[in-house]
Amino acid sequence: MLKKRLIFTLLYQHGQFMLSRNFRLQKVGNLQWLQSNYNFSHISYSIDELIVLDVSRGQKETEEFYTALKKLSEGCFVPIAVGGGVKTIDTARNLLRSGADKVVVNSALYEDNNFIQHLASEFGQQCVVASMDIRSSPDGSFQAWSEYGSVCQPKSAAYWIEQVTQADVGELYLNSMDRDGTGQGYDLRLLDLLPINMPKPLILAGGVGNAAHLAAGLADPRVDAVATAHLFNFVGNGLKQARQALISGGVDLPLWDVQLLEHHLSDLNGQKAMDVSHD
Amino acid sequence: MNKQTITIVDYGMGNLWSVLSALHYLGYNPKISSDPDEIARADSLLLPGVGSFRKAMIALQQKGIDQAINESVQIKGRKILGICLGMQLMGLSSSEDGDTLGLGFINSTVDKFTLDEIDANKLPHIGFDSVRSQPGSRLFNKLQQAADFYFVHSYRMLPTGLNGIPATCHYGIEFLAAYEQDNIFATQFHPEKSQTNGLILLKNFLAL
Repeated sequence: MLKKRLIFTLLYQHGQFMLSRNFRLQKVGNLQWLQSNYNFSHISYSIDELIVLDVSRGQKETEEFYTALKKLSEGCFVPIAVGGGVKTIDTARNLLRSGADKVVVNSALYEDNNFIQHLASEFGQQCVVASMDIRSSPDGSFQAWSEYGSVCQPKSAAYWIEQVTQADVGELYLNSMDRDGTGQGYDLRLLDLLPINMPKPLILAGGVGNAAHLAAGLADPRVDAVATAHLFNFVGNGLKQARQALISGGVDLPLWDVQLLEHHLSDLNGQKAMDVSHD
Repeated sequence: MNKQTITIVDYGMGNLWSVLSALHYLGYNPKISSDPDEIARADSLLLPGVGSFRKAMIALQQKGIDQAINESVQIKGRKILGICLGMQLMGLSSSEDGDTLGLGFINSTVDKFTLDEIDANKLPHIGFDSVRSQPGSRLFNKLQQAADFYFVHSYRMLPTGLNGIPATCHYGIEFLAAYEQDNIFATQFHPEKSQTNGLILLKNFLAL
């Protein structure tokens, strides 16, 4: 049976990892900060997937981002989806060569269906994650926003979601701009915007403050994966504890035994040492 | 101590970095190569890959890599691990993008999951899923008989008509999650993306 997924999203801008609240960004720390406050290589054993988004507006420092990505992906043995302003095949290829397994696209979804098709034919549809930022209007309707939440797309969010699920993408990352960074929990109303019998995996994002929020997202059968980008709510052992709480609460997350690897390696090395001594 | 040369086959399609970093973590120092001579000389081959079967076979053939792999595996009997598309390439043929012949190490064809098969499940099959392995499997040594691995694919092989040892996963239908026969090893899932379960499997392969 396919397991549910717990995903951690990192927002990156010019060498810094960021906290986002309703799409306003605040610097938290650089890669060293992340390593020391999250002990990343260790904490990555508490997540099922990592998403890294370069949210810097305007000119991006791509080489620096690729380098950070390579560092992050060392010792992180889960799939990594990477995006932020991906609009060319070359950018996608560079990301995939720097540790990304999947490419996240957002604004291009509304502009250029040829590009999405090209991306899928080049790297496979399973390699393309469609990220959509959804925001409610005072009249209660929902709209999709592109360009880091600055451009409102005409037509309803439901229309665009339907379009995107028909496009050559592997999965959908649905983010609530209203809840982003608030810690108030997911906006489960977004799920009502999905087509019935949604054919592709859905990742829900935006608003998580604690493990109970993650559990509430995963309790909905329409949700395949939950994501949080909140760097402060899960600092230290937070992700590990959240994962344990989810598993003991009966959520079907994958299991692995970190110690088993260590024992296995030392057994094998022990054997090898014995083989050598027999020579 | 360990003198084997390990080569990760580079044909321009796949996340080589992930496989490389997993092997580094395990203390190995593999080469990444697209040079047929180097590939034919290696003691162990890893054949990763994501993307289209047809494009991948064309890339392997254009560079003469398919023959180098054949020489290494069929003539010299060196071990090979195909990962994801790499496993599918080791099959007889694939119906992705029109029929394309594969390397033919695994006696099975590669086809897209049909809607009937997946029975209301979503495609692609993405995420960790439980893999049932057989007792005596060398790849799954030390792992539980049902262990979780990360999958991302829409095409599959079926575990029928095979002489080697299959491991299976259930996604509406029982499909081939991993395979081993003599010096041929393959996983439909990504061991380099499957936390310590995958690292143990990679270590098992390399320690053979």
